[in-house]
Amino acid sequence: MMTPDFIYLLPLFFVGIGAISLMILSTFKTMTIRKGAIATLLFLVLAFLSNGYNLNSGDVVYSVYPFVDIFNKMIVVDTFSGYFSTILILGGILTILIGLHYFERHKQFTVEFFSLFLFSVFGMMLLVHANELISAFIALEIASISLYVMIGFQKVIDKRIEASYRYLVLGSLAGVFFLLGTSFIYAATQTTTIGTIGNMALNTVDSNAPLLIIGGTMILITFLFKIAAFPFQSWALDVYDGAPLPVTAFMAATFKAAIFGFLLRLVVVDFDLIRDFWDEVLVYVIIFTLAYGSFLAIIQKSLKRMLVASSIVHTGYLLIALVSIGVIGESAASSIIFYLVAYFLSAIGAFGLIAYISSEGQLRITYDDFRGFAKIRPYMAAMLSVFMLSLAGIPSTIGFIGKFYIFTGAIESGYAILAIVGIIATFISVYYYFKLIAVMYFYRSSELIDVPPLKGIAPIVISVIALTIVWGGVGNTLVAYFPGVDFLIDMANLSYESLFIWQ
Amino acid sequence: MDFGILSVIIFLPMFVALLMLILPIGAKGTRNIAFLTSIIIFILVSLVYYNFELSGYMQFREHHTWITTYGIYYSLGIDGFSLIILMLIATLIPSAYLWLWDGRTKGYWISMMLIQTGITGTLFAQDLILFYFFWEAMLLPVFMIIGMFGTGNRVFSTIKITVYTIMGSLLMLISILYLGVAFFNNYGFWSFALNDIVQITNLTRTEEIWLFAGFMIAFAIKIPLFPFHTWLLETYSNSPTGGVFLLSSIMAKLGVYGIVRFVMPIFPELYKEFAPFFVWIGIFGLIYFGIAALMQINIKKMFAYSSASHLGFIVTGIFSLNVYGMTGAAFLIIAHAMATGGLFLLVGKMEYSLGIKAIPALGGIAKKAPIFTVFFAIMLLCIVGLPGTSGFVSEFLIILGAFGFSPSAGIVSAFTVLVAASFMFWMFQKAILSDSGNDVSQMKDLNFKEIVGMLPLAFLIIAMGIYPDWFFYKIEPTIQHYLIDILEIRNY
Repeated sequence: MMTPDFIYLLPLFFVGIGAISLMILSTFKTMTIRKGAIATLLFLVLAFLSNGYNLNSGDVVYSVYPFVDIFNKMIVVDTFSGYFSTILILGGILTILIGLHYFERHKQFTVEFFSLFLFSVFGMMLLVHANELISAFIALEIASISLYVMIGFQKVIDKRIEASYRYLVLGSLAGVFFLLGTSFIYAATQTTTIGTIGNMALNTVDSNAPLLIIGGTMILITFLFKIAAFPFQSWALDVYDGAPLPVTAFMAATFKAAIFGFLLRLVVVDFDLIRDFWDEVLVYVIIFTLAYGSFLAIIQKSLKRMLVASSIVHTGYLLIALVSIGVIGESAASSIIFYLVAYFLSAIGAFGLIAYISSEGQLRITYDDFRGFAKIRPYMAAMLSVFMLSLAGIPSTIGFIGKFYIFTGAIESGYAILAIVGIIATFISVYYYFKLIAVMYFYRSSELIDVPPLKGIAPIVISVIALTIVWGGVGNTLVAYFPGVDFLIDMANLSYESLFIWQ
Repeated sequence: MDFGILSVIIFLPMFVALLMLILPIGAKGTRNIAFLTSIIIFILVSLVYYNFELSGYMQFREHHTWITTYGIYYSLGIDGFSLIILMLIATLIPSAYLWLWDGRTKGYWISMMLIQTGITGTLFAQDLILFYFFWEAMLLPVFMIIGMFGTGNRVFSTIKITVYTIMGSLLMLISILYLGVAFFNNYGFWSFALNDIVQITNLTRTEEIWLFAGFMIAFAIKIPLFPFHTWLLETYSNSPTGGVFLLSSIMAKLGVYGIVRFVMPIFPELYKEFAPFFVWIGIFGLIYFGIAALMQINIKKMFAYSSASHLGFIVTGIFSLNVYGMTGAAFLIIAHAMATGGLFLLVGKMEYSLGIKAIPALGGIAKKAPIFTVFFAIMLLCIVGLPGTSGFVSEFLIILGAFGFSPSAGIVSAFTVLVAASFMFWMFQKAILSDSGNDVSQMKDLNFKEIVGMLPLAFLIIAMGIYPDWFFYKIEPTIQHYLIDILEIRNY
């Protein structure tokens, strides 16, 4: 049975329509933050369900160009994009659910915020569907521009405005590199469609090879900037720190997944030629990213900044798998996809919970503010510990399995040295993640601190995330026929395979 | 999916602990249930012991797929060597619970149960990733129990031991991953099961040496062997009694167990090649930590070092490459765990009653607490290896093994053991027997529960000393299997 093309685009459609309707709805006086959030969730859930329908219907692995006449293969819907859309939509849903409390407590947030939020989700989803460089650029900018505004949404706080501007200026600069790279590639190959660039490159004359390599490198620079890899990481700490916590969570967990989604498509399907050239450079990029990120994370006193700095380290791990792709294609790509899920869950949990905690009562910023937290709020402390353990990659959490795949892949592809550097970074990370657990559990709280217990839906969401993390690390030996680690790996493999279906 | 008795033994404490975590039961209720759990496990373990057949091969196997893509199995099994350590754990834990009976919080009991799951899991795992999984998971409750209930500069000690052990574990992890990849390149499919990993043939010598070192460092930190011991002192002296009990009597032994279970079959050639080195490292540890123990006036620190000293001796035994040394090492694992565990419990009580740990401030305990003194004496005699205790049998066998390995090693170790013995007597005399005029009126004698808890340890120490064959026959086939089949030594 042929599914109409329209069905394939429904997830994108729902999110896009949602963004526009919330923009209109926000003009009504009766719209409250809560109503806005519910509307946002409604659209996201619709998108999630239609996306799930696409993933489950028809073939196990699929790849479709919807409305070829109109879009001319600019957009592709395949298992890969479906898998990433799941992550992105889920990221949106979880951010709203956990952040709702924060949004309600801080007066500056209005319903327009949710419209922007949906626009950025839309941009990210478009990015993982993009099959062509120009449309990828448009998607990237939709997502980025929405984020610029979201970061500076609390206009009364100077820090926010500064972060927003910094990100705007630097992000636009990075965008320019992308465009320039695209035009170079077009000059060399007369196409911007992924999948044909590589073929054209093979047929083209040798004199065009430098153009292709320069163009590819520029695009790579844009992505290295967006994922905050060394030496383009300097913005990350201040921007992420300046953003409101739920937005930080959203950026760290979700935006990174979207960018890696497109990067994977680009690197896996095309760019064989350029990849060989990059790999050597990337090895150094990775080592410096890991080293510098670890260094930054150690010296931070603020918990939020530590998490941000450690997200640079996680970028380093992901890049390890990226260079392994050249040798062991499938398993390395799957390990990236898996690790993204693992990091996404842990990061959104950690950021989300800290956002919740600091939206109430006194602001808790530094490690010391969490002294004796376990005595006051044992439940929250336990959940926070689970997230820290997963980020540190301790067995029985999904973070361990993620690191296991990446390091195994690195050794398998001959980059044992990267695996060792990664292990050292992991070792250092134990220090700054365990420090929080130690501070929460091993000290008595000196002052009286008012953190009310979790209210509403947030505790359920948080514990579901924590359970998923543990389940993802323990796997499916206990319950048969229940999706466990194997299921996630199979899904990652399937989405990789779908990249190679040609129509 | 069917689960065997070994799975139940591993996971029962964890499930009980998680249940306690959720249910609103107080510290006392949790303690009672924890004790009951440990008794049930003791019964299960006794069943395993009874049904264990006399052979050197893995028994009670459980083998399920876990992560199929990478050939990671949920694979369990025990042989004679694991069996005796299992018996040890099952006996020690209920005894320790009786000693820790009063004044502990709920978190303490939950941590203890989680540690039990970690150590039994480590003991049964027959898959490298599964082993690593338990090995690391075991660390978390230890981290919590020292950090939350320790004394002195506990946070620093906690961070120190965590950093140390995680560094070792990560080195081991990278070796494990490397082995997995090597197996894949060798045979074309993934597996981390021990039975498969031992068949790897495509490693170069340099690679093997690095991997060997990765494993050995991880285990050496846990034991601790000589250059990796610096966490020992702070951790032992700042840990709560239950923590130091588990660390010294069980977890340190798991380091030795890891060497026998994994390093020996995976790198048999290197194991034989580096055996002289480790025999001497062990003897050096015996002497070095023995001298360090002499220097201590804090009684807890003194036992910490003397414990490390004996562990060095155990390492000498397992690397002696003959049946005496290895059996002696297995025996000393038991003897030492009983005696040191018991001593740490006794010292913990003394510290709790008197609030002091320094030897010169003690003395005259024997008058105030005669039963205490009797048990203390039994444990101490076992440590020094007096004939009639299990310590004698095991130390004698290891010295024989060391002689078999090289006469000089035998002479040095025999001499050291004698000197250590005389020192221990001096300490015993000074701290417990002599009337020094210090005020020890706060010292209480053992109560009924404590006597019940200490009796099995004392009984086993004497029984194993008088009639060791009872305990040898279960482990002997395993040791022979190690020597003949794995290390391929003909004339042991």
